[in-house]
Order: sequence, then structure tokens, then C-alpha cells
Amino acid sequence: MIVSHNEIVTMVNKAFLGMQREVGEADLIASMVAELQMAGLNGILHFNNASPFILSERDVAIDIIYQGEGEVRLDLHGSSLVCHLPAVMDYVIEKMGSRNHFKVYLQNCHNRWLAYSELAKLAAKGIACLAKWDNGSAPKHTIFTLDRRFVYPDLYFFNEAQANYNTNDMVIELSTTNFDIEQDIQYFDRKVSTDELYATHQRAWKEGIYVDDGQWATLKKSAAAILVENSEASSKGAGGI
Amino acid sequence: MEHTLPNNDRLDAVSFRTPDVVMHSERLGAMHQTRISFVRTLLRKIDKEHWTLSKHLWDLDNDGYGQVIYRLQTPEHVYHLVVFCNQIADEERNDRVIAQKWDVTFALVYGEIGDELLANLKANVPLQEAGRNSNMVMVLARANKSVRVFDHIVSSLAEGQQPDLDVLAQVGYILRTTAVYGNGKFGIYDFKPLDHSEDFNQSFRAQMCAVYLIREFSLDWVDYLAQKKGGDKAVSLHPEIKQYLGIGNATGLGMAPYLINHPCVVDQWLSAREGALQAVLVCDIEDDRNNKIQQLSHLMKRAIQHFSEVVTINEPQILLNSTVVDELNKLQNNFTSEIEGCVTWADFLQRQAYLSFESQEVITSCLMELYPELVDAFAGQANADETMSLPGGKVVQDLIDVLEARYQWAISIDFEAEDNVYWFWYRSEDKEEPRMGVRGQERGDDKEFLLDIGRQANTLYLALQQADPQQLLSEFILKQPKYRSIARRVWTMGHKKMGDIQINVLQKTALPMHLLRCKLSMFGATKFDPRSDRWVRVTLFQGAPLFAEVHSDEWLFPLLPNLSVPKRGLTHDRIA
Repeated sequence: MIVSHNEIVTMVNKAFLGMQREVGEADLIASMVAELQMAGLNGILHFNNASPFILSERDVAIDIIYQGEGEVRLDLHGSSLVCHLPAVMDYVIEKMGSRNHFKVYLQNCHNRWLAYSELAKLAAKGIACLAKWDNGSAPKHTIFTLDRRFVYPDLYFFNEAQANYNTNDMVIELSTTNFDIEQDIQYFDRKVSTDELYATHQRAWKEGIYVDDGQWATLKKSAAAILVENSEASSKGAGGI
Repeated sequence: MEHTLPNNDRLDAVSFRTPDVVMHSERLGAMHQTRISFVRTLLRKIDKEHWTLSKHLWDLDNDGYGQVIYRLQTPEHVYHLVVFCNQIADEERNDRVIAQKWDVTFALVYGEIGDELLANLKANVPLQEAGRNSNMVMVLARANKSVRVFDHIVSSLAEGQQPDLDVLAQVGYILRTTAVYGNGKFGIYDFKPLDHSEDFNQSFRAQMCAVYLIREFSLDWVDYLAQKKGGDKAVSLHPEIKQYLGIGNATGLGMAPYLINHPCVVDQWLSAREGALQAVLVCDIEDDRNNKIQQLSHLMKRAIQHFSEVVTINEPQILLNSTVVDELNKLQNNFTSEIEGCVTWADFLQRQAYLSFESQEVITSCLMELYPELVDAFAGQANADETMSLPGGKVVQDLIDVLEARYQWAISIDFEAEDNVYWFWYRSEDKEEPRMGVRGQERGDDKEFLLDIGRQANTLYLALQQADPQQLLSEFILKQPKYRSIARRVWTMGHKKMGDIQINVLQKTALPMHLLRCKLSMFGATKFDPRSDRWVRVTLFQGAPLFAEVHSDEWLFPLLPNLSVPKRGLTHDRIA
């Protein structure tokens, strides 16, 4: 089916609020999902997959495991990345300061795909980004690379794990100059280019956004969790007319 | 709280009126239409750009049921208003969102209407929320008849008579919209891609346009039905009565969350309005060489008549309206002495600070009419970047400073007191209708809808006070991520001109009506007729010129026409 951007944002917002988490910002998460969906990268599927994790995880702060010159390692304790990434990026950019390069190692996190729009926002700050993660299922490895001042990244997918990361970790590197990724992408199996992402995104604004019917139904069901059962007393709560 | 204008020597670059004055909920609840309300700016645009409207299809049976299409041509593009009229039983006519059927459903559609699209619209528009519309639809809406007015007008015209003005004055419209959806709701076109549209790139303009066109339909409809019913005996509705009739709108709690959830938009609207007002207030009054004093007096006379004519069932509103009439009459009687000694309009307005909010806001609306050349430029400032973010390089104390400077209204509230958390807001399973419940007495507070900005700001303030004042804000948030959302809001809104609306919506005596009134007045609504403390009926485009006679002159405060006096130009010129 075809849906609008505002519908996705509204629906994800409600779905996240329905999970009654203290940590995580519904408006930002909704935007992350919508942007990923508009890029043709199954944002709603990823959010639906993330929902059980978000529902079951504890509202705990993340721990700084190690902080060194130009790098930091954080433990998310099995949390979904969507609930913490905006705060992590604030912190990391502050720590990066005037350095040319900064590396963040995130361990024990889920739903890394949903980092897409938060990382893409770096473009507006003139920061280049390289993010990598391994998966338990295909694609086994993903590289996200964003050139400075580009709005859309290039994405590389690999059928085999590449970097000996734990499958619940993610590495994000920031730089004031573009990354040389020749070595990293030698063996990729599929690429989605910045031009393709741009075209898909523009088409989505114009023609509406394609969503799988089943995934939309799942999201709608999650969004219904915030609704309160109707009753005679409740009906009066709208203000009689 | 002090609600007077600061002295001129304490003026800042933002406004004569501080956020504490402007964003006070009670004052927001006294706002009126101004020159930069959306209905007014739309009509000026239609006039200046010579938009045209024609009947593209008129396919109604003798009882007025069927479909109608109007074609709207702008310099940039073509649009169509597609209208479906259905027969419904009286008991099915309900203003609330939970309704399933309506007398009229309609859509404003981008571009041409082919057979396939028309079939899709016919299958879905009458279903409203239950349908799935093409993304060529920009606005999806519905309306119900004011049965009393509708039947009276049609039967009078069919008999060759004009309707009784007293009947019309009770209501002020033929059709009453109960929801006007835009921006991607239910699958329709998103607002963002309209960035590139010269026609509809401003907040709510497409919705206002759809409402203006449905008003044209409502007037054509009664003429058509009278002719069908009365044949040769029938007459058309008098042009001045047509101008007097607007479109009704029934608004409930659903509008309140918008204002809370879109603070940047609200700040933008109120900042633009204050900017426009300030442009006027700095002007010297001078002697009446520029005729401004006479113009103001004329507008206030019209306001007095308008508020004398307005019919409402709501006792508090009746009192407010009669207070406006009394206060403005006294002001009119002493107008010369009230103006005397005032150098600028700011001096004059400051002298009126003892009046009720309603009267003060009538005066600001009137003042803004005096200088179109200064005010109209602010009409283009309706859109806002809604990004809320935290800056780098700031420490805990910086955020405390913002809270203490701009959120006193929130941090000074004792949220331990039951009355300050009396209400909770939630969405019902019943078509997701927003509702209020009494905390501890009604079910649903475990699914509370978070509109409690005051409480969240208060909680943030307490948490910040426990932290090291020199700790980096980004570190504080990393450790206490649950505060990031409200911290972003406080920082962002605390650096805006007007900032957040200053209301604790949980408070026992808080009136959501104030929020509704604020938004509706920005739209350009008139005739505020509260049906309860959570529900209001208003008119839009009441007194506005018809499409065929559209002009850029003002039409503030609609008045009942006086058909016994030959028309001398516009209706609003008939006051001596």
C-alpha cells in the first residue's frame, strides 16, 4: 500500500509511546523510521522487528566503558539503538571537538539499521561518517559511508561477516575529511548508491511511500496500544456537545 | 501576574509585550481574527493573483444529493474541489470525530480529475477516516448542515422571500465542518512537498482554501434547491446575505494537542503576530492627517455592533461579549481624551491595559488594520522549522538559566498538589478521539497522553539542580537520557521569541478552550460560541467577499446586513 510521510511519523510515534518507555524520543524515532522507509530501506519492518526489544529492555543509562584520545566505547546493555543514538551523537560530537577524527564503538545494541537518519544528519554539520556492523543474518556485514556535505550515504552489503565484530556491536567513525573506503569495500556483494537513495526519496515524496501491507498492519496494532477502552464515562471526557 | 505593557524605555527587539503576557493562556483564549489570519491572507492572494473558480460538474438530483466539482485555476496550477452530498438521518448528524456519516464530504484535489480518480474519490471521500484516499488529495473534509438555517433558507427562497435575518444570526452559516484534514492524513498529500508550491506552501492554506470553496458550494446549493422547489417563484439569496454567511466549524479537544505538540509553529504564529503589532505600535499617532484615528474609531464601532449581534448559548461567553460592548462603548465615548497625550499607538494600547483581555485583543486586531503596508508582510511568516535540539558546549547551569528565565510559569507550580495534576489526557479507542479524565477516578491514566509540558519542565529543573552545574549537558543527558526530550524542548523554545504556551493542562481549572481559540483565531475564525469548556463552534469566512467579488480590503467583524438600506459598496461601509 501507499502511505504518506506524516502517516508513518504519526503511527510510529503512537507505537513508541504505547511502549511506555522512559528513554527514547518518540518524535525522533518516528523520523528515523520514516526516513529509512522513504529511502526504500524497510524502516517499518526494522521498527516492527525492534518493537519486542524496545518493549522488553530496561530503561537504563548507557555506560562509558573506555574513553581515550579520539575514541570512546559505550555499552548499551542490549538496548535498541533508537532509544539512545541521538544522545550518543550529541555526546560524541562534543567529545570530537576540534579533532579531525573520532571513533565510537557501541557494544550490545540492537536495531542498528535505524541509525540511518541520525547518521545522515551529520551531513548538515559537515562531518563525514563511516559506520559498520555485522549481522547474525544476511546481509552479514553492512557499511554506511557518508561524504561530507552529502545528504545521502552509499551503502555496501556483504554476504559474509567482515570485521570480527560481535553481531550486536557497531562502529561509527566521524571525520572532517571524507573516508578512503577502497580497502573496506573490496568484497561487497551489493551497493545502494547515494544517487539511488536520492531518487527513491524524491519519488516517495511525489508518489507516496510504499509499505508492505502486513508490516503496516503490525505497526497499526502496536500504535493501538495507547488507546483507552471506550466507556460511558470516557465518552463524556470529550466534552459534551 | 502583571499583564500590562512594559514601559517604552524597557522595549526589547522582540515585542512590546513579553512572552509572559502574550503566551498566557487566558490571553490566547481572547484572540480575534487579524489581517494576518490565514483566511485573510488567502483572500488577498486570490485577489492579487486573479485565481478563478468555475463549476466543472453539477450532478445533483432534485433533493440536492449527488456530486459537484469546482475547478480552481491559479497562475501556477489547477485544482478541483470535489463534493459529495449524501442523505443522512437526523440522528446520524454528529459533530464529533466518532461520527460515521455526514451531509457533505469533500476533497481539494491537486490537478485534473480523470474517471479513475473520480471513482476512487467517490468510493473513499464519503468514508473519511475509514477510506483510503489518493495522494492527489490535498485536503479531506466533511460538513453537516445547520438544518434549521438550511431548511429556512431553502423554503424562504423557494417562496420568493429572503430568509429571516434573526434566524441566520443564530448560526451564521449553512454548513458546519467537523474536521478538515491536510498534511498526509489518511494517505493524502504531505505538506512538505508543497514547499515548492507558490499556491499552498503556507501552513493550513490548502485547508482554508477548501473551506472557502465549500462556502461557495453551500450558497450555490441553497439557490439550486430553492429553484428546484419553487420553480419560477424562487429567488436567489441576496448577495449581502451570502456575504454574511460563512462556514461553521465545530472543534473539540482534538485541536488542543496540536498546539502542545507543535510549539515551534505556535511560537512562529504568535511571534509573527506580535511583530506585526509592534510595527504598528511604534507608529506615531499624529493628528488625524492620516485618518488613522477615524479608521480606528470606525473599526471599534463595528466591533461593538458585531459583539452585540453575536448569539451564543455559553453564559461566560455572553458575559465576555457584553463586557467588550460596554468597555468599547466607554472607550468610544472618551475616544478623544483617550488618544490625547499618546505619542504612539503603544501609548494608546498601554492606556487600555486595564480592559478585559477580549477588549484589548479587539483593539490589537483593529490597530493592525490601520497599516496594511506594515502588517501584511508578516503574513508570510507562518511556517516554522520544527527541529528541537540541544547545542554543544553547554553545561547544566546553562539549561537551569533558561528554565529560570522562561519557564517560571512551570517551575513555580507544585505538582505534588492534587489540583495541579487533576486531569489526564488520553486517546480513546473510539476513533482515537482525544479525551480528558479525572486522575484517580477514571480509567486510562496508565496510558496518559503526554501534554504535561509544565510538569516535565518542572521535573527537569529538579533533576538539574541535583547535578553539578558545570557538568556538560551532553554528559548529563547521556547518564539521564529520559530528560533529553524535554531538555531539547526547553532549550529550543526558551530561545524563541514567544516560546511555549504557558498552561498546565493538568490543572483542575485549566481551560482547553483557550488553546482552541488561539488556533482558530490564527485561522481567522469569528463568532466564538463555546458549547462546553471543551467544544466550540465558530464561523470561518463570515463576512468575507464571495469568490466572484474577492478583494483585498478588510472584512473584520462580520455584521448582519441591513437590507432596507441601499447598498453603498461593501457591507462594512454602511456604518456612518
